Amino acid sequence: MSGTNNIEDALSSYIIGRDTVKPNRPRFHIDAGNLKSAIALLKQCLGDEALYLSNIIGVDKVAEGVIELNYFIHVVPLGNTIVIRVTVPRDKPQVSSLIDVIPGALSGECEAYDLLGVEFIGNRYLRRGFFVPVDVASRGVFPLRKDAKV
Amino acid sequence: MCMGDSASIIYYRWFQRGKAFISSIAVVIRVLMSKLIRYSPWLAHFNTGACNGCDIEVLASITPIYDPERYGVKLSPSVRHGDILIVTGVVTKKAAERLRRLYEQMPGVKYVVAVGACAYDGGVFKGSYSISGGAGKVIPVDAYVPGCPPRPEEILRALLILLNRERVKESERH
Repeated sequence: MSGTNNIEDALSSYIIGRDTVKPNRPRFHIDAGNLKSAIALLKQCLGDEALYLSNIIGVDKVAEGVIELNYFIHVVPLGNTIVIRVTVPRDKPQVSSLIDVIPGALSGECEAYDLLGVEFIGNRYLRRGFFVPVDVASRGVFPLRKDAKV
Repeated sequence: MCMGDSASIIYYRWFQRGKAFISSIAVVIRVLMSKLIRYSPWLAHFNTGACNGCDIEVLASITPIYDPERYGVKLSPSVRHGDILIVTGVVTKKAAERLRRLYEQMPGVKYVVAVGACAYDGGVFKGSYSISGGAGKVIPVDAYVPGCPPRPEEILRALLILLNRERVKESERH
């Protein structure tokens, strides 16, 4: 866990909350505006080949009026996965794109945009119909939103 | 009747005879092909949106444990060499056009076997916004293998029943 503590120390200025998903999987809450700089800092600390962004999981929280984005990042030298969580408002879901820092974020960002409507600023490859069938996408429906009628 | 008319009638008759000849040759080739395929059917496997359960069973059914090569059954490297298309999983709207294209790319005498509950009518995904339905909604299916997932023996048995190489009890006929 000392490696995870090092990550926590490195990101201390950005972290606004911390909890644990399950043993050996810490989750750090970060402000959406600081996401890109936090990941860039993490990459700078651990090295170019240390981070593997395996998933971007979006969750629509209607009652709270936010969409959660959970970035599952595998830290290769530690052999451990950490989760970085940001929340964006439902009525204006925008967050900065990570493809400049981690190019592998492309597919995850395209998926989150197509299914939940989260806009990743700086990613110019976003388009509807990446995963969603054309008939649903053409109606402007984001099917993973809890209030979507498909 | 002028000469031109009679010549056109003769050409028309030749054309008809030629057409009948070609279609009869096509029928003979088709019968021969179906007999050949019966003893060396090559499989093409396509996952249209399965959870991987059926795929594992299809791959298990072509392992030496079940030894399908004793029946001449092999997995073909390309759908263009395949005789039997094995479809696993629910057909999503995105996969439907690919499935249709693959079916059209298969040569001559061809069969389709839909493996699993999802390939039958959508299974647990039935009613979802992103699916077309079972494989039968997109391409003609010759045999369905029920189960979630079906056992490898059942998949092999379906192939043999399809090729008329296994006797089926009268009570099992549908």
